[in-house]
Amino acid sequence: MGYFAESFAELYNADGWIDMGMFIGAGSSAAGWWTVIAVVMLLAVLAKGNSDEQDHYK
Amino acid sequence: MEDQILALTADVAAIKSAAQVTNTMFAEMYYYVTIPLMVLIHAGFLLYEMGATRVKNVLSSGMKNLLAFAFTIAAWYVFGWWFYWALPTWPLDLAAGAGYMEISGTGYANAIALPWGDSAQYMGPNMADNASGVFWGAFALFAATTASIASGALIERIQTVGFVICAIVLGTAAWGTAAAWGWHADGWLVTKFGYHDFGAAGLVHAVAGFFALGVLMNLGPRVGKFNADGSANHIAGHNMPLTVTGLMLIIVGFFGFLMACIILPGEGWSWYADKGTTIYGTPMTLSALGFNIPLAAAGGIIGAWVITRDPFWMMSGCLAGIISVAAGLDVYFGSTVIAVSMVAGMILKPCANWLEGLGIDDAVGAVTVHGTIGLFGLLVLGILGSGMPGLGAFAPEDTVAISFFGQLVGAVVMFLLGFVPGYVVSWLVDKAGMLRIPDAVQEKGLDSVKVPAQAYPESMISSGSDS
Repeated sequence: MGYFAESFAELYNADGWIDMGMFIGAGSSAAGWWTVIAVVMLLAVLAKGNSDEQDHYK
Repeated sequence: MEDQILALTADVAAIKSAAQVTNTMFAEMYYYVTIPLMVLIHAGFLLYEMGATRVKNVLSSGMKNLLAFAFTIAAWYVFGWWFYWALPTWPLDLAAGAGYMEISGTGYANAIALPWGDSAQYMGPNMADNASGVFWGAFALFAATTASIASGALIERIQTVGFVICAIVLGTAAWGTAAAWGWHADGWLVTKFGYHDFGAAGLVHAVAGFFALGVLMNLGPRVGKFNADGSANHIAGHNMPLTVTGLMLIIVGFFGFLMACIILPGEGWSWYADKGTTIYGTPMTLSALGFNIPLAAAGGIIGAWVITRDPFWMMSGCLAGIISVAAGLDVYFGSTVIAVSMVAGMILKPCANWLEGLGIDDAVGAVTVHGTIGLFGLLVLGILGSGMPGLGAFAPEDTVAISFFGQLVGAVVMFLLGFVPGYVVSWLVDKAGMLRIPDAVQEKGLDSVKVPAQAYPESMISSGSDS
């Protein structure tokens, strides 16, 4: 966890900012793990939502 | 002298650099603005759908609409965007390789459109990338719009989660594939058949309309819609002004939707350094939209008024008018737009009546407005625009021109891309017991069963409001 850069100076050159993600976890496997977490949460919400909905119709 | 030349060269370089920054920031702002404009489409669909619903189901309809918006956008992020970039050459190229422009294929999609691995740098904040986010956002709103179009047709009897599953399939796989094939310079419908659909008459509207038809065939009508002898009853929504205002908001959003269909000049991803184009690289200006969208809206309203004298159908005609010319908004003359859109407004209600006569309960006429008129628009362009080059000046010599045959092939493909997934996914959802709300619950009212809130104070609801 934590931000990947301690200084932005090394990320700026004559062409401007270098082409890379500037989000927390950029350049690591964090993005993929966050995607897994988000997908699991979305699927869990759908499953729970459907379970509750079927209860309403009984 | 040499010093002066060096100073002048440095000044020119500085001016060019500043101009490029301005162009980049303008392009970023341009597409960014289309995103909230397209959110207005959803505000419109929300009002439209809730107004067309009876009092007892108002909030349930609103909730369903909001969830379709939310889940479609999330799913578009996880895998929908990948469909668009990966599939332009598939299935003609079963390996889904890169096309002539080399901005397609699974390799390209894997590099820029997946929210994990190396491509994640283009799926989130990036220090040097001012384009990916605004393009993704605009396409996400296209996807959500496609899903929302189907939503209105299904109100008052479809289960919420079952509908969300259908909406995800429509907004990602169906629309993403349609856009890859027909709205991409490498798309096989474009390169092999000259398919032209500037404003997505087929790949958004027809796909969504016929997806809705596929779902409707498994879902069945609302309780009380049809009598034992097959005749239909009119089920009035609880608030016609809300519905009509919602439709007008959709029209406002369409201006953003259609301006997002233009590729601006001067960027690394532009077709030209100095000229705006369509997504096919053919000539296009915002001025063309300035002429043609208002004229199409006007023609559609007038055409529907001639036939119906009904404000609901007049505003539906407004939508239909724009959809009828959306495929060729870049090449139609204004008077042509008036004529075509008036015809669309006139055929709208008879087409909806015909569908109802087949026992299909399309609560808001979405199949007709978006599906039938979308296909009508594709075919009209095939007749009027035959011979126009399918791609811009950069295209290979064997580029196929627009033709009636090519538009017909595109129309059939768009019909199938909508109807088949709609029918199949809703059949599967039905088999899982997640499609149709039990008739007893429909009769009681959905809000009292599944929504912990009330649309209106009790004192405002008359005894006949929910009928």
